[in-house]
Amino acid sequence: MTLRIEQIDACRWRIPKEGAMRTEGLVFASRQMMAALQKEEALAQVRNVATLPGIVGPSIAMPDIHWGYGFPIGGVAAFDPEEGGIVSPGGVGYDINCGVRLLRSALVEDQVRPRLKALADTLFTNVPSGVGSQRRDLKLSIEEETRVLRQGARWAVEHGFGSAEDLLHIEEGGTIAGADPELVSERALERGRAQLGTLGSGNHFLEVQVVDEIVDLRVAEVLGLFPGQITVSIHTGSRGLGYQVCDDSLRTMLSASRKYGIELPDRQLCCAPLTSSEGRHYLAAMACAANFAFANRQLITAWVRESFAEVFALGEGDLRLSVIYDVCHNIAKMETHKIGGENRRLCVHRKGATRAFPPGHPQTPELYRSVGQPVLIPGDMGRYSYVLVGTAGAFSETFGSTCHGAGRVMSRHAAKKAAHGRNIVGELAARGILIRAAGQATVAEEISEAYKDVTEVVDVVQRAGIGKIVARLRPLAVIKG
Amino acid sequence: MESYRLLEHTADMGIEVHADTLEELFAGAACALKEMIWGEAGGRAIEERTVSLRGGDYGELLVSWLSEILYRFEVEGLFPVDFELEEIKGTSLRGRIRGEPFDPLRHPVEREVKAVTYHRLRVEPSDGRWLARLYVDL
Repeated sequence: MTLRIEQIDACRWRIPKEGAMRTEGLVFASRQMMAALQKEEALAQVRNVATLPGIVGPSIAMPDIHWGYGFPIGGVAAFDPEEGGIVSPGGVGYDINCGVRLLRSALVEDQVRPRLKALADTLFTNVPSGVGSQRRDLKLSIEEETRVLRQGARWAVEHGFGSAEDLLHIEEGGTIAGADPELVSERALERGRAQLGTLGSGNHFLEVQVVDEIVDLRVAEVLGLFPGQITVSIHTGSRGLGYQVCDDSLRTMLSASRKYGIELPDRQLCCAPLTSSEGRHYLAAMACAANFAFANRQLITAWVRESFAEVFALGEGDLRLSVIYDVCHNIAKMETHKIGGENRRLCVHRKGATRAFPPGHPQTPELYRSVGQPVLIPGDMGRYSYVLVGTAGAFSETFGSTCHGAGRVMSRHAAKKAAHGRNIVGELAARGILIRAAGQATVAEEISEAYKDVTEVVDVVQRAGIGKIVARLRPLAVIKG
Repeated sequence: MESYRLLEHTADMGIEVHADTLEELFAGAACALKEMIWGEAGGRAIEERTVSLRGGDYGELLVSWLSEILYRFEVEGLFPVDFELEEIKGTSLRGRIRGEPFDPLRHPVEREVKAVTYHRLRVEPSDGRWLARLYVDL
């Protein structure tokens, strides 16, 4: 089936409702991005999501959209439980609550540059990365792990990893309510037990950055950002625990879809009504994995603080490594949104998308209430990352959501080919960026060219009014799994 | 005899296998998964795990089988060396994974596979043989 697409304006495109679609598709992209997108399957995936029961508003794709499995990466879709709306584990993904946390510091580039090599080495040692690596001083019993699943980042803070103030600056306060560890399989618990406090591999990373440019001075001040300042980004998720929760849930949902007579254009979209036991159980298990991810980023934060203190021989008061914000990139949440003038509780799926709540929203942390919720957009390891804030435009048009990253444009094979014969680590070092990587193929597969330029992605977001750029960050040292 | 190749995908990777029998097809898919994670790394078959699974159809059974290999590696530290499928009948499978304890120095991981997906999953007869195609999440 050929896919019809109509341009709405410079950064919006419509996939008209046809066939089994229950609603239209809405894609945020520049003309150039759209030309590239039409070569792959991502747009057909936007259309497939539009066929699912109880969808409210359009099936949305952000400008970092790329071909996923089932749902596209960069997809947003909301479902109404009162209209037969569904929840789909494939609409969240395997890495439940994969997300990003940004720390600011009191240090500037000139202070860090002379000790950058030592800092990269220390972070690489203190923060476990790569398959099978873990901290020897963190052993978790299954019983303790179930507490992590209930409490999320709060568990970590209560065990001495960070402060209560950190929790104020995490989406949902670092704990998603309704988590029920009874619904998490033994397999998932086993996979997660040795992996709490680990970075993982692939596109996950830990990055020491410098604030390269402030775009919005007023908002930057509220966020505590200034030019030349050192920041740290942590990008990881729920590790094997989340992958197993998703895997287990997909099996349940395959039979649930048959049971509830839901027609699926792709098995990976399997789902169940939000009001069914299968739907409720998934949300409760998903909350466990999301909480595991919040705790994971909280532990890594503690080890980042420890590493900085070790390398610079400075105390907490001098380093002032505090959490600006921590956002989920893969999640489904019950939220209140205005539809046709009426407030409705909807299940918003964000798969490779970020919540971007506007100024004044009660769920925007108090400190940021006047400027909007911080949105953290990592780029690739050789270019930039961005800090944005949510807008009223995003709240009314995209269920308070925006993009999540650069988005891949090259397959791993193509990236490896492009990197062949080159010294990628040396190329980056020549540009002042240090890389420490555990995996053999990771550096080649994660080269800058494998991703869209994140600047073009946030530019579309800003022009469309679904996010506002605050600052640009440049990498100095990157730890990859 | 079975043959396999790794498939291109923007963010992830896929596997395509052709084989004369279902048993060879599943073994071939396991070899492809192993190559995706460890490349050419080899080892000795000194430990053995028996696997017995049930699934809705051959496709779901194949996802379960490959997921089992990931699980045995991640939780039990088993580096797989060879795979033997004793029987695949209807919705059940019996097989063995042989390998040795995982050693990151001898078995360096090229890329971590998070999970085996159902996206565009196919297991079907093709020109008198069997064909499987699937994608994994990296």
